[in-house]
Amino acid sequence: MARHEYPWKRRPGWWLRNPRYLAFQLREAGGVVCALYGLLLLNLLMQLREGESTYVAFLTMLRTPPVLYLNGVLFGLVLWHAISWFMLIGKAQPVQLTRKPLPWKAVFGINVVLWLGVSGAVVYLIFGGI
Amino acid sequence: MAEQDVVFRVTRYRPVPGGRPTFQDYRLPFRNDMVVLDGLNYIKDHLDPTLTFRWSCRMGICGSCGANINGQPSLTCETFIRDVSRGVVTVEPLSNFPILKDLVVDFDDFLNKLASVKPYIVRKDWGDWTKEYTQYPEDLEAYRQQSLCINCMLCYAACPVVGTSPEFIGPAASALALRYIRDSRDEGADARLARLNTKNGVWECTFVGECSVVCPKDVDPAAAIQTLKVLATMRHLRRLLMPASR
Repeated sequence: MARHEYPWKRRPGWWLRNPRYLAFQLREAGGVVCALYGLLLLNLLMQLREGESTYVAFLTMLRTPPVLYLNGVLFGLVLWHAISWFMLIGKAQPVQLTRKPLPWKAVFGINVVLWLGVSGAVVYLIFGGI
Repeated sequence: MAEQDVVFRVTRYRPVPGGRPTFQDYRLPFRNDMVVLDGLNYIKDHLDPTLTFRWSCRMGICGSCGANINGQPSLTCETFIRDVSRGVVTVEPLSNFPILKDLVVDFDDFLNKLASVKPYIVRKDWGDWTKEYTQYPEDLEAYRQQSLCINCMLCYAACPVVGTSPEFIGPAASALALRYIRDSRDEGADARLARLNTKNGVWECTFVGECSVVCPKDVDPAAAIQTLKVLATMRHLRRLLMPASR
C-alpha cells in the first residue's frame, strides 16, 4: 500500500517562535558583523594610505549619526556574540579540573573576568588610563 | 479533585493523496493530576476513536509519546495539562519529520542514521563467548549519561539544523555514538568517528543547544557532539601525523 506521508515543511519566521532560536540567530548574525567590521577597519587602513584628506573625510563620514547608530547596533550584536559564546564554552568543552567538570556558569564567569581584564589593558595601552 | 475544562487543539492528517494537516479542537475535562497523554487518551476513548498517536509506558521510559506541545517538543506522558494549559493546549506532531497520520511521524530516516554509527559494542574477537568483559563503576560512569537516551526524537524535533539540513546525523545518533566510543569494552571508535567526521556528521552542528534543553533524560547531546568534534579532530591529526597508526 502506498504511503502518503506529509513532508516536513519549515515555517517562515521559525526563529521567532522560540527565544533560544532568536538568541542563536543573533549570535550567528554577530559573527557576520564581526567579519564586516574587520573589513571596515581594513578599509580604514586603505584610506590612510590614500592620504590625510581622504582619511579625515572617511573619519568624518564614520561620525555621522546614521553610521553611529549603525555602530551601536553592530556593537550590541558583537557583545551578544561574545557573551553567548562565553556562556557556551563550559557546555561545548567541559573544563575538567576536578572530579566533575566545572559548572558552565563558573567557566562563563572566568571568561568574563579575563575578557574585562584584557579589554581594560587594551584601553590603558591606547589611552594611557581609563 | 475538582475538574476543569480544557481545549485540545490537535493536528489531524489523513494519509490520502492531496491530504494536508489541519487542526481539530476537542473540549475535555481535566484534573490537576492529568498529563497531556491522559487528555489524548480521553479523546480517543470518549470523543474521537480515529485520533492516532503513539504511546506505551506512560512513565517517560519508552520515548514513544513525543509531540510538540504548545510548540515545544515534549513527552506527552511527562507534561501536566495544568502546566501548559491557558485554556487551550496545542498538540502537534514532532517537527522535522514527515507525518504518517495525525500525531504519528516517520522515524525511518533517524533509524538509518543511528545504524550508520554502529550503536552496539564492536569487538574484534566477537564470537568468542568464553571471554568475560569486566567493567568497573568508573568505566560505566564514563558513558552512563549518554546511555540514558530513549530515542524519543525530541532533540531532532528541536534542532533547527536538522530542519535545514535533513542529512545531518543529528543529536541522538551522535550521543549514542559517543556512548559506545566511551565504553571500555568497545573497539569500534575508529569506524564511528570516520562516519561522524564528515560534512553531514558532527561538523554540521552549530551549537544551538536546544537538543539538550528539551532532552527528558539529561543526555546533553549538544555537549556529546562537541566532544565528538574533538575526538574526530584528534583522530584526523593522528592519521595525518602518524599514518602507520591506521
